[in-house]
Amino acid sequence: MSSEFEISKRITIGQYVPTGSFIHRLDPRVKVFAFTILVLAIALNTSYIGNTIGLVLSLYLFWVSKIPIRYGLSGIIPAIPFIVILAVLQLLFQGQLFSHGKVYVDYGFILITSESIRLVVVSAVRFVEIIFLSSVLTLATSTTELTHSIQSLLSPLKKIKFPVHEISLITTIAIRFVPTFAIEMEKMMKAQASRGADFGTGGWWRIIQRTKETFPIIIPLFNIALSRAEDLILAMESRCYTPGGERSSYTTYQIAAKDYLALVTGLLFAILLFAYPFPI
Amino acid sequence: MAGRPIIEIENLSHTYMKGTPMEHVALKGANLFVEEGECVAIIGHTGSGKSTLIQHFNGLMRPESGKVLIDGEDLSNKKVNLKTLRQKVGLVFQNPEDQIFEKIIGDDIAYGPFKLGLPLKEVRERVKWAMSVVGLDFEGMIDRQTFALSGGQKRKVALAGILALKPKILVLDEPTAGLDPRSRNELLDNIKRLNKEEKLTVIFVSHNMEEVALLADRVYVMADGTDVLNGTPKEIFTDKEKLQRYHIGTPESVQVLYRLTDLGYEVKTDAFSITEAANEIIKVLACKKECSKHVQRI
Ligand SMILES: Nc1ncnc2c1ncn2[C@@H]1O[C@H](COP(=O)(O)OP(=O)(O)O)[C@@H](O)[C@H]1O
Ligand SMILES: [Mg+2]
Repeated sequence: MSSEFEISKRITIGQYVPTGSFIHRLDPRVKVFAFTILVLAIALNTSYIGNTIGLVLSLYLFWVSKIPIRYGLSGIIPAIPFIVILAVLQLLFQGQLFSHGKVYVDYGFILITSESIRLVVVSAVRFVEIIFLSSVLTLATSTTELTHSIQSLLSPLKKIKFPVHEISLITTIAIRFVPTFAIEMEKMMKAQASRGADFGTGGWWRIIQRTKETFPIIIPLFNIALSRAEDLILAMESRCYTPGGERSSYTTYQIAAKDYLALVTGLLFAILLFAYPFPI
Repeated sequence: MAGRPIIEIENLSHTYMKGTPMEHVALKGANLFVEEGECVAIIGHTGSGKSTLIQHFNGLMRPESGKVLIDGEDLSNKKVNLKTLRQKVGLVFQNPEDQIFEKIIGDDIAYGPFKLGLPLKEVRERVKWAMSVVGLDFEGMIDRQTFALSGGQKRKVALAGILALKPKILVLDEPTAGLDPRSRNELLDNIKRLNKEEKLTVIFVSHNMEEVALLADRVYVMADGTDVLNGTPKEIFTDKEKLQRYHIGTPESVQVLYRLTDLGYEVKTDAFSITEAANEIIKVLACKKECSKHVQRI
């Protein structure tokens, strides 16, 4: 029997699962670049075949990275309600925009065509593919590697005074602290439950009560977040961190043959998904 | 002391993050028995499963395998009334000052009693009682802002918040960690008084052996998710072989006495309360004087 408070178990973002697989050992810059173009290509692909290829590819990448697929699926579960609601709304109300194609239902303002069905199915599958791909990336890449690669991929933007270093630092910190706050939240829920708090009891329509129930957790979490931030500032400054300062790096990456292989494969799939005229 | 058993834990196991790559076994086959009115300490290294174990006492965690009986009630049963259970077993988390969320001290202490659905008058009585137990002046402090308190005061408020539930069993996770010496002593006195005068059953986790020697009737030693040893502080702190095997520290008083025996003086090593240890040392000193006089005369 598992505990009603195990939140951290359900959060896969920001976790690093070191399995030492091929994907783990890739140059992080190549990895981030390849995953980014793949996600973009998938986001722009509207064909059934194309998205099937995308889905198979993202499942295959899980297998290559040796991360249990079950764990990847657990990251999808919290998103299911959104996917379903989105699908229903699209199905009912987006037909007007996709009135070409075969008409199945035409009832008042509800218009369902083969094209609007395609939109619904493809959006849902796309969502799953993108969650899978980003999970593989974050589960197989440590936070430090992620920062490095985001920073070096964005570095051309420095020329136009884009705050590359700051943005990559902020992103990294944000991702890094997701699991930490999940654990803090779990602890806080337990602590308040120990003095009689209950969560999610009243029906969802009793919005005010449900909101009030969250105060004993939200308020302490804000305090904890602020004091963590102060600690982080101290820790960084005591190691001579200066904003905007030039920093050298402990690890330097050498692009090797396996990285070119991954890069070319990623590019090929991206071009295929982006440009190939799939029949359906 | 043959009291009624109030906590009976048998062969309890727990795995965190079950079914994920981060799966971690925190408890494997732990046992713990506590009688009504006892004061029991749980010691052991960080990560040995102490916090996980005590979270089973008030149903925050349900037994994955094994048995947990609290006051005769089996927690494997899904129908257990958690509210009553959590009122009966007051669990004070580590760094409980984090959980204060109301602006005013009184409101924060009253949160639990209000959640129990008690009438205003009763709530007020309980807040007053809880504040007096932890040594907060009711009239002067009840309307004070919570954010402007010192660390020690915040911890008192948090403890009062649990005591206001009027629990039968008080469970504390490292209650004195991070406190200044004075607040620490006050807190220990309070715990002792709650146990001796208010007859609460107390279970506390600690890394401080002086504290354990001072307060506990019995000590459980945890290692790698199981209980490896239990007994009175006397039994635990005088078993030199086991102390070494499980890397258990001893109160400073005992360390001094052990050193003295190593140097060849005859002292009792089971005299670990400060006064008893002091008496032993005085005996040694007195003997030294006697002996040296003796030597001079010869
Ligand atoms: N919420 C959690 N998720 C995953 N692992 C945990 C969690 N809490 C504790 N653990 C792990 O379980 C083990 C026992 O932890 P804990 O009971 O807190 O030990 P103790 O209180 O004795 O230091 C530790 O190795 C710890 O890392
Ligand atoms: Mg602990």
